[in-house]
Amino acid sequence: MTRVVELPAQLDDRSFDQFTRSYADAVAQGGRLLFDAHAVQWASPFGLVGLLCAGQAVAQEAEQPLFTLPTDKDVVHYWARAGFFAQAEALFELHGKWPRHAARGSSDVLLDVTPIRGADDVHDVVGHIQERAAAMLTGELGLESTATMGFAMALSEACQNIVEHAGTGGWVAVQAYNWKRRLGRRVVVIAVADAGVGFRRSLEATQAREYGDRWRDGAALEAALIKGVSRFRDPGRGQGLAGIRRYLGRWDGKLSVRSGTARFNMSPSWDDDPPLEEGLPPFPGSQVLMIVPAVADKATR
Amino acid sequence: MTRIDLHMILQTVGPGGYGDLVTRRTGQAVRNGIEPMLADHPPGDLALVDFSTVRLIDYSCADEIVGQLLLRHGHAQYFLLVGVRDHHLEAIEPVLERHGLAVVAQDHTGRIRLLGRLPEDVMRVYAVLVETGGAEPAAIAEALGLGLDTAKAIMADLLRRRLVRPDGPAFRPLMCA
Repeated sequence: MTRVVELPAQLDDRSFDQFTRSYADAVAQGGRLLFDAHAVQWASPFGLVGLLCAGQAVAQEAEQPLFTLPTDKDVVHYWARAGFFAQAEALFELHGKWPRHAARGSSDVLLDVTPIRGADDVHDVVGHIQERAAAMLTGELGLESTATMGFAMALSEACQNIVEHAGTGGWVAVQAYNWKRRLGRRVVVIAVADAGVGFRRSLEATQAREYGDRWRDGAALEAALIKGVSRFRDPGRGQGLAGIRRYLGRWDGKLSVRSGTARFNMSPSWDDDPPLEEGLPPFPGSQVLMIVPAVADKATR
Repeated sequence: MTRIDLHMILQTVGPGGYGDLVTRRTGQAVRNGIEPMLADHPPGDLALVDFSTVRLIDYSCADEIVGQLLLRHGHAQYFLLVGVRDHHLEAIEPVLERHGLAVVAQDHTGRIRLLGRLPEDVMRVYAVLVETGGAEPAAIAEALGLGLDTAKAIMADLLRRRLVRPDGPAFRPLMCA
């Protein structure tokens, strides 16, 4: 029997748990999954890489899931330009037409949906993005030039988390937006996601005993993001996420990390998400969202 | 004096060479390229780790290169980081702090800085050494209003960490001529 996973019309970090709830319910019921995107009007990079995670997790465990493309041709073209279908066709049985040779290189897309499977991919991503990130961060967001290198470092560390800890591949995408309603400023968004083992399982061998009954997804996220622990006992490990937090803190940015049934949020002044959310619908792997906003007096385009 | 050109070593790592010092695996490979150079290095000589052509270094790479080099060889080798820029420090300083390490860096303008979280007295002593080009503990004690025993203890700690070089009764900061 086919179970339908409904996608929200606006698929981004805010509606992501509407999607994960539908996904978790469908997985629990069993049968072949159909990801129904026909009514989707827009998806953020976070939404797109999150979809790929779901597809990967299902494809690894069960029959290849089905995927109904958005009805809106502009949305389909946009997803194609962002590189989504090039990754999705290996995971889903796609239903609907999409342009295989959509023009790439929109000025707002700093990095297409890009697979991360190993250290070479991290080098490619970092090498590819630096020049465009510099133009975007300093030219359009009004940040100091020093923000550019930190941006590349944060991107590198987030991608390395996949390589070092996920036990599988993942994806990254980077894009700029005008957040007129949500923030009134332009932002650059980095989304990094995988369908791997997640923080709790990654850290279990070294941390679970210390936490006892309190060892859950939320505790694992706090251990990694606040205490800087790693699955490796080497004290030099675990600095990447701390570095990401420092970078985003300096530029009034937001960090959100979802893993399993929990989400850790480092929220800046312009965001009111709670520091830790638990009891969310279960979702495979880890999903990292980094948002760097324009300086406050930089008008949106 | 041995100059370790990080960018040149980076070019020998990975398929066709890499452009940036990112990923822990790359850091390990670069360190593996450095360590044979240190084996040929005369004892007591200065090893210059040259960042001047490094565009980007991330935390993981900084841990493998700077952190692990100092942990493994810092007790016996003098290291001076040269050509260091502020964005390099963003990756290097947290590594030093995490391991309780310190190292001397000379930035691209020639300015000498002692990196790492060290007590304020130690930082002040090092600043005087840099300003004067070297001094004996008694002169340091007088300049900073410290007790002689305190000044001697600080110098001994700096020497143990290979952050100064002895020159007769005086101690000199590490610097690139």
